[in-house]
Amino acid sequence: MRAAVTVAGLLLSLQAFACGYCVEDKIAATYDHAVITRALASGHHVVFFHVDGAPVSRAVLEQAASGRGIEKGSARISPDMLTLSVAFDPRRISLVELNAALDRKLAKHKASLLALRVMERPADLAAVKR
Amino acid sequence: MKKLLSLAALALLAACEPSAPPPDAYHPSKIDLKSPPAKVTAERHSGAFAEGSALSMGAELKKLDPSPVKTVRLDTTHKVIEIAPGVKFSAWTFGDQVPGPTVRARVGDRIKFVMTNRSDEPAPMPQVVAAPMMHSMDFHAAMVSPQDKYRSIAPGQTIEFEFTANYPGVFMYHCGTPMILEHIASGMYGAVIVEPRGGYPTKADREYIVIQSEFYAKPTKQKVDGAPLYVLDGERLRAAQPTHTVFNGRHNGMVTSPLAARPGERVRMFVLNVGPSKTSSFHVVGTIFDRVWIEGNPDNQLRGMQTVLLGSSNSAIVEYLIPEEGSYIMVDHHFANASQGAIGLVSTEAKPPAKDLEHHNMPASATPTDPDAVAGKLAFESKCLACHSVGGGRKLGPDIAGVTKRRDAAWLTRWLKEPEKMLQTDAAAKAMLKEYNNIPMPNQSLSDAEIKQYLKYFEWIDKQPAGAVKAQGGH
Repeated sequence: MRAAVTVAGLLLSLQAFACGYCVEDKIAATYDHAVITRALASGHHVVFFHVDGAPVSRAVLEQAASGRGIEKGSARISPDMLTLSVAFDPRRISLVELNAALDRKLAKHKASLLALRVMERPADLAAVKR
Repeated sequence: MKKLLSLAALALLAACEPSAPPPDAYHPSKIDLKSPPAKVTAERHSGAFAEGSALSMGAELKKLDPSPVKTVRLDTTHKVIEIAPGVKFSAWTFGDQVPGPTVRARVGDRIKFVMTNRSDEPAPMPQVVAAPMMHSMDFHAAMVSPQDKYRSIAPGQTIEFEFTANYPGVFMYHCGTPMILEHIASGMYGAVIVEPRGGYPTKADREYIVIQSEFYAKPTKQKVDGAPLYVLDGERLRAAQPTHTVFNGRHNGMVTSPLAARPGERVRMFVLNVGPSKTSSFHVVGTIFDRVWIEGNPDNQLRGMQTVLLGSSNSAIVEYLIPEEGSYIMVDHHFANASQGAIGLVSTEAKPPAKDLEHHNMPASATPTDPDAVAGKLAFESKCLACHSVGGGRKLGPDIAGVTKRRDAAWLTRWLKEPEKMLQTDAAAKAMLKEYNNIPMPNQSLSDAEIKQYLKYFEWIDKQPAGAVKAQGGH
């Protein structure tokens, strides 16, 4: 119950962030058209995460954003906007599994990821189903 | 009798009561805040980049469209524009132009807005335009939730929303996607004019919009039509050190294409300072602003003003009479800004501008491509045209055409650096002073780098076919 309330609170706060901090603005911070075009052409998806918890460096996020199913070189990071995006192969790893895997790597830094939007086709930033 | 006295006393009391205040035009009961949620789709528009009868594309403004609903489309694009002769800049736009088209409405009108992010569309020169990115629209004329209406959309997406114009004014619109500073400095801005519900209290003969903005441009090794491509200079941007400060998107643009007016006419000018980081002290030489409506709202009226001070995203409507034949110079009276190109003319000799002419697509005159020569040209046109012409004959000083053939580079360098010393020691300088009515050339305190830029420009002029380059100032 407490977790559900926390998630709901976080989602509300994300919606209510001031100028430059709403969900789409966070996505804009790591949006890389070349990465997205390449990923979608290969049947991959691109997910945009909010970085939650303790502050983590770019290096830590870079190191975390690799592994099974993640497209090499696709990670984009905005420490200022607390956003991380990666392209991944949904045939090798589901979004839920990917989120959990990245969270495990970030747990020792007391940080975690909240999936904001996923792009499965061009010009479609879909909300993530939970 | 007693009754009569009582009635008289009541009448006297009533007469002493203050009169009722005028009704508040902005009372909450008159403000329409209804706005359905914005709709974002993957439907890509492929027609014109700007559509709507409420749009004006250039300085000359169209009359108000009487329809109470204004449907407006402003798509975003990436393209190369010319912000000064020879300075081809990689811009981001609304409606495929900088500034974006002006929207004109009236208090109470409904604005139905639609925008497709077309920054990913193939451009004529794909290698020199910026990579596709997310964009958004922030209308200062609207009272809506930014998280809903002003959200960023990805290339290929379309956003639609609507709002009612509640306050009269001249309002900025701009892209609000982070980093906002970069999006505005790259060209993503324009104006919304909202007229009072009952119109303006005066009658004007001419209506123009003047939008002041800054560019922060640096040359790259990439070429566009043989000239260097200029891109956003992030360091200058963050330090608020523009390379160009312009009216309506172009350095000295309204000097080469003045706005028209006749003696005795009343000019209404809608002035918006976009910034993003500098103020404007807007002035029109030879006139006094009969009325200034701060932020474009006649409720905020000042009379008899010489200048109007506008911070970033501030605006005003200024109205003035054209007293007699002449060219009336619009300047930012912060002259450092004016010297970077924030100059224009309202002239009784000008022909009315062609309707809907996209200013940055006007044919350019011969212009240098070397960045030093370009900088020299801009500096020369800002500082020297009052006394010198290029190919137009002698004025207070000599015609610059042919100067590198008359004098060598060392002489010109010394002359530009220390004219007052040359006038004491150099025979040629002394002879020139005599020839030009003893009017000395002022020391402009030029740096060595600036002198080099002037010389590069002069050398370029003298390499062109005779008569191909002409420049004359009016002030």
